Order: sequence, then C-alpha cells, then structure tokens
Amino acid sequence: MSNFFKLIKNEQMKLYNQKATWIMAIILVILIIGAGVIFKVDETFTGGEAPTGDNWKEELQQQNEQLMSPDGPPDVEYPGYMNVEENQYRIENDIKPTEYNVWDFVRENRGLVALVSLFTIIVAAGITANEFRWGTIKLLLIRPISRTKILFAKYISVLIYALTMLFALFVLSFIVGSLLFGMDGFAATYVYSQAEEIKSVNIFSFTVFQYLLSFVELMMMATFAFMIAAVFRNTSLAIGLAIFLMMAGSSIVVFFMDKGWAKYILFANTDLNQFIEGTPFFSGINLGFSIAVLAVYYVLFMLLSWVFFTKRDVAGA
Amino acid sequence: MSKPVMQLKDVKKTIGKTPIIKGLNFDIYGGEVFGFLGPNGAGKTTTIRMMVGLMEMTEGDVMIKGHSINSDFKKAIHHVGGIVENPEMYPFMSGWKNLLHYARMMPGISEDRIHEVVQLVGLEKRIKEKVGKYSLGMRQRLGIAQALLHKPSVLILDEPTNGLDPSGIREIRAYIRKLAEEEGVAVIVSSHILSEMEMMCDRIGIIKNGELISIQTVRDALEQTEEKEVSMEATPVDDTVAALKEMTGKDVNIQEGRLTFTIDREKIPTVIAGLVQKGIQIYSVNVNRSTLEDKFLDLIGEGSIE
Repeated sequence: MSNFFKLIKNEQMKLYNQKATWIMAIILVILIIGAGVIFKVDETFTGGEAPTGDNWKEELQQQNEQLMSPDGPPDVEYPGYMNVEENQYRIENDIKPTEYNVWDFVRENRGLVALVSLFTIIVAAGITANEFRWGTIKLLLIRPISRTKILFAKYISVLIYALTMLFALFVLSFIVGSLLFGMDGFAATYVYSQAEEIKSVNIFSFTVFQYLLSFVELMMMATFAFMIAAVFRNTSLAIGLAIFLMMAGSSIVVFFMDKGWAKYILFANTDLNQFIEGTPFFSGINLGFSIAVLAVYYVLFMLLSWVFFTKRDVAGA
Repeated sequence: MSKPVMQLKDVKKTIGKTPIIKGLNFDIYGGEVFGFLGPNGAGKTTTIRMMVGLMEMTEGDVMIKGHSINSDFKKAIHHVGGIVENPEMYPFMSGWKNLLHYARMMPGISEDRIHEVVQLVGLEKRIKEKVGKYSLGMRQRLGIAQALLHKPSVLILDEPTNGLDPSGIREIRAYIRKLAEEEGVAVIVSSHILSEMEMMCDRIGIIKNGELISIQTVRDALEQTEEKEVSMEATPVDDTVAALKEMTGKDVNIQEGRLTFTIDREKIPTVIAGLVQKGIQIYSVNVNRSTLEDKFLDLIGEGSIE
C-alpha cells in the first residue's frame, strides 16, 4: 500500500511540475473573479432587485398579475421573478425573497464545472499517453511494480485533480461571492421547479448536493478520456474525442430521441442534476436507472483501459 | 566464471506471421561486460525490450537470477537496471526530481543513495537544473544514474556512449569496466561502434535477422602478440619495400602509394626504428581494421537486412 501512495505522489509531482497545470488553474481563478466583477457591475445578470420589503407579498402578487395580463409580459419591476408558479409558491409558503447573495453566485458558477471537465479531460488524456510520447514509459514500466498498480495510481491522480479543481471552484466562488455580494441569506430558501412541480429547499445543502452530482458527469468524461488515451496511446486523440463528445453529447441524444435505445446513450444519463432540478431528457428514466447505465459504462471504460495498458507490448516510438 | 545472472532460453518473437526473433539462447555472467552487436533491424532493441518485460515473448523465457521475467516479473526486474533506447527523462523536472521519481518506485532507496549515484556520474553541479536544459551527454549520465539507483545485478545499456564527448566516453567506459570488475555486475551494452565494443566488452554476441550468429570472446593478453595488418606511407617506396621484406620476411602490397603488410603487433616499433635508421621518410603508419571487425563484416555480410 505504501508504494501505491508513493506512485500517487510521483504522479502529483509530475502533474504540478508542468506549466500547463498551473495555467489551467489560473484560468479558472480569473474566470471566477471575472464573473463576480461582471455580476456586480451589471445588475441584469443578477436579476436586479428583489422584493424584500415588508409588503413583498403584495409586490409579488402585483407582478404575477402583470405577467398574466393578456397584453403580454410588460416591463416588470422585478425581472428576477418571472415564474408565476414560483412566485405563487413563495406567497403561499411565506418564503421571502432575498437579494442576490453568495449562494446564488456559487450556484450559478456551477456552469464552470464544464471548464473543470475540460481541464480534467486534458489531464486524464495526458497522464498515460504523454509517457508514451515522452518515451518515459519504458523507464516507468521496468520497475518491480505491476502495470495494473501504475495504471490505477494514474487514475486515482486524475480523480484527485478533478476533486481539487471542483473544490477550488466551490471555495473560490464562495470567497469571491461573499466579498462582492455579502454573506446574507446563508439560510435562505431556494425555490425551484422540478418536473412541473414547485419545491423549496435550503440553498446551502442544495448547492453542495448539485456540485457533488456534477462530479459524476466530470468523472465519466475523465474516465472516457483516460480510456481512449490508454487504448490509443495518443494524447490529442483522447482530448479531441472527449471534448467533442462532451460538447456534442446532448445533440447526439436529441438526434436519436425517437429510437427506443436512446435512453441507454451515455449522455442521456451523465447529467444527474436533471433529476433534481428541471426536466429529465426522457420521461421513462429516473435517478436509479441513470446510475445503473453509468455504472455499466464506467466498468467498460475501466476494463478497456486496464486490458490495453497491461497486455500490450511497448514497442518503438 | 560465476553462475549466469541472466539466461535467455529459446526466446522467440513473432509479430503477425513474421518471425522477428528466431530463438535466442545465451547466458550472461556476473562481472562481465557483454556486447550486443548487430546491424539496424537485426532485433537488438526487440531482444532488450523482451529482457526487461516491455514486450512479451512469443516463446521461451528470460531468467534473471533464477526468476522468470514472464511469470515472476517483479522479482526478476528487481535485479535489472537499464536504459532502453534513448535516455528519456521528464524534461520539465530537475535531474534530482527525475531520480527521486524512480527512487520512489523501488524499495529501500535513501536520499543518500541518490546523492551517491549523482556523484558517480558527475552531475552534482547541474542536478537541480531542469532536464530540458541538459545536453544529450548529461541525459545519458542521468539515465545511467537512474539505472544504478537500486544496485542492480544486471545493467542493460542501449548505446551508452551515444552523444558523449571523447572524454565522457572514456569515463563511462572506465566506469562500466569498474562496475563489472569490482562490483560483479553483469553489464549488457549494445552499440554499433565496433572499436568501442572491443575496448569495453569481454564477450560480444553478434545478432543478424533475429538469430545469434556468433559469440566472440574479446582477447586481451592474447591480442598483444597477434598479427596485425599495417599500412604505411613512406618514401622512397622501393627502398621501403626492400627494407620491409628484409625485416619481416613477408610480401608487401602497394596500393595507391600506401604499403601494406602483416606483422606481429609487438614488432611494429622495431620495424619503424629500422626504417628510420635506413633514412626512409615515414609520413604515416596505420594499423588496419582489427580481426573482430573483419569477422563482423564477414558474418553479417553486405546488405544484411533480409
């Protein structure tokens, strides 16, 4: 076990000695701070003011009437509260709106998980394929350590990287958010619709939960890139293919929508947040189904990586 | 000699339907430097890759200190250190970190041991620099350093003097000899430079088209009395020929103004002194290619890759 730990230490050392790793981290930091500044300067991003006065119920009621008027949506006072059912829910359940705060910012920055995915794909693709490209694979494999152990140390290192970046995104968003938008609303209630039903939940735990669900999608794409790199030993191919599929994933699902097997496509299931907020791709699938499908793909990816990495000859460059 | 440290037992490699290695059998002993010689494409690299488990062999086995590389990889490879092809290191890390990386992959290597190998290969001053800034010669030294970290019984070096300057070559050569003679390490070197191999190796295995066609023992003491072919440029030509015939009792050939003759190595100084005494002007004296080179070329022939 201790030598497995040393292998992971080696992988981390190699990762953080490469400039690219730091450039990716810096890009993430810049984007988080940039988003904060833009949101602060231009209020249209944060939905403008919220009805937080004592008579907020009347104000929301008034806005709902305006929204439902036959003249079409007029110039309303609170552009952040455009959903009639949600507003009604707030009035009925006595959930007072709050000003845009740190948790709104952290929750919206979940969009940057796509960027973290991109970076993790780059790392996952490079961690094995680069050893072949550099020629260092030969010195790496002539040690008294099985290839399986070396491969898994690399895989675990990718997961550590992904978790670190995701954690950094969360923490940095929290710091930037609380500095710019204030710590108010720590215990605020978040109102959202899921499958045409209005629900409410504590915003902190909900946000953490959503980040954790995002990690599943992140991990699937990273594992895919890792597999392509282990099979084809080519960094660019693995990065290109994984990014293409990440971008085109949902289009692929939409394209085959009417086929019976479409719900078994990886990308119909990667976004687990679809079961928490919003509407799922297919009416017939639920969280359990998606997890089962993902598990099958996951095992397949890992098996392919393992077979190709451990069984194939290391031939000339 | 001691017991074999590495044994190749009918090692074969077939890729698709093409036999690349057609059954190699030979033993390598502790304390010897074994040269692996052959033209490009003969199967040197493939053989080395099979010796260290980077490629699987189709048939046969390699035993290292009695452990099979096929069925007992970890124990077998534990006794091996090596460079396969070029000394490729991580260019973005310092020499030190590169060594630390490999040290972590083997049990019981202390920082002191890393310092020791750095000193052995003479990289103390540059070890904190990034490998990307190293010359090929420095990378070669670093490659040898990583191969020695765990004090292996078998050291496999592919073209170890490649990219080194003459003084570096001499140093490495002396170091390889020292490892073999003093520490009893079996060193396997591959090279295409014949004279190099002759100076460094005890035995030389010649491989051609995937077959070991000959193992030559490099003579040391014996070689001193061996006949050599000498070519000479001297004037006047006729007087020289006459003098040489008188002194050696053998025929002298004249080719493009150069005189060639065979003579025992130890007699060369006497003959030259004799010629000088007779007032003959000598412009150059060369000892022509050695027996090994002759044998090598005879064995592999011209256009040897089938």
